[in-house]
Amino acid sequence: MEFDISGAKIFARIPTGIPILGDILITETIVVSWIVMLIITGLCIFLTRNLKVEKISKRQAIAEMIVEAATNLVRNNTGGTKFDSLIPFVSTIFATSIVSNLISLIPIFRSPTADLSTEAAWAIVVFAMITANKIKAGGVLGYLKGFTEPIPVMTPFNMLSELATPVSMACRHFGNILSGIVINGLIYAALAIASGALLGLIPGAVGDFLSNIPILSVGLPAVLSVYFDWFTGAMQAFIFTMLTIMYIANAAEG
Amino acid sequence: MNTQPLVTLVPWTMVAQFLNLMIQLYLIKRFLFKPINEILEKRRQAADKEIQDARQAKEEADDLKNQYESGIAKAREEAARIVQSAQKEAQGRADELVQEAQAKAAGIKAQAEADIAQERKKAINEVKNEIGGLAMDIAGKVVEKEIDEADHKRLIDEFIKNVGEAS
Repeated sequence: MEFDISGAKIFARIPTGIPILGDILITETIVVSWIVMLIITGLCIFLTRNLKVEKISKRQAIAEMIVEAATNLVRNNTGGTKFDSLIPFVSTIFATSIVSNLISLIPIFRSPTADLSTEAAWAIVVFAMITANKIKAGGVLGYLKGFTEPIPVMTPFNMLSELATPVSMACRHFGNILSGIVINGLIYAALAIASGALLGLIPGAVGDFLSNIPILSVGLPAVLSVYFDWFTGAMQAFIFTMLTIMYIANAAEG
Repeated sequence: MNTQPLVTLVPWTMVAQFLNLMIQLYLIKRFLFKPINEILEKRRQAADKEIQDARQAKEEADDLKNQYESGIAKAREEAARIVQSAQKEAQGRADELVQEAQAKAAGIKAQAEADIAQERKKAINEVKNEIGGLAMDIAGKVVEKEIDEADHKRLIDEFIKNVGEAS
């Protein structure tokens, strides 16, 4: 029995000849990302159809609840309405993240978040926003001076910790999703081997045939997926979102 | 089919994912936040308007109430005034009537008294004349002697006067 976990499938490779950036790869990550975007946008359009001021439908109530929950999350964690412009961005990060994480529950899809490039792109956006807010709060000089505090010797460490923010955000999210995939793969493989061994005890051709069916894979992975897929998926989306809000709010405070 | 390594950073994928995130941001803004925030704002305005309308209606009702109350108070005052003046008038009228009646009664009484006095005087004069005539007849009969009538009259008057004083 062989078991390996690979990265996203590459459907097409478009050579660009640009150094460093390299070739454009149309991978599973990108294709599933488009599907995720379609799902989210379709859901938005579905939920906001026939909006009314009075006697609202259940759909509209859900849509309003989502908007209000996002608004409250940002306002409660930044303490005011100063960061209201962040609400759509934070919601986008959360929605994309959670749908990307959970889409792997459909076996034919591989989570876009199981590709470090995805989280890296998000983390760089968040990092850019953090930096922009810091510069806005203290000016360019204030921002640069912030690295030499409390003493100039700390400068390299401060720069390191600054860079560690996006790296840790990206790697935390990626690691959790990847670990879910790895553990799920391991469990499936182990259960297949176990059921093969168990049913191989039956003598003759019947045993040979039945041992190919991983009968033990039914049940247990579903229970474990509650944690490794559902819980981790939702949790990491939430953590990434919270960190985004926190970092940007802290940055703006100076 | 080729697969990429498990942990890798593909620059173009990062660019693509960045663009995807931005497109998704726009789509969520356009299809979720914009319509929902618009509708929430509309509802808030409607609620504000309702409250304002209610407040205005209440003010109007209060105004009307005050108007009615003051109107009622005025009417009551007016009624009291009318009743009072009517009472006063009636009282005055009654007093007048009584006075008039009293005056009339007094007049009638005076008239009656005057009439009585006149009647009495008349009766006395008649009696006087009769008595005068009678006395003259009696005296003529008794004396059988014709005396001056003027003297007679004087004597008789004297006599009657004496009689009147004595009576």
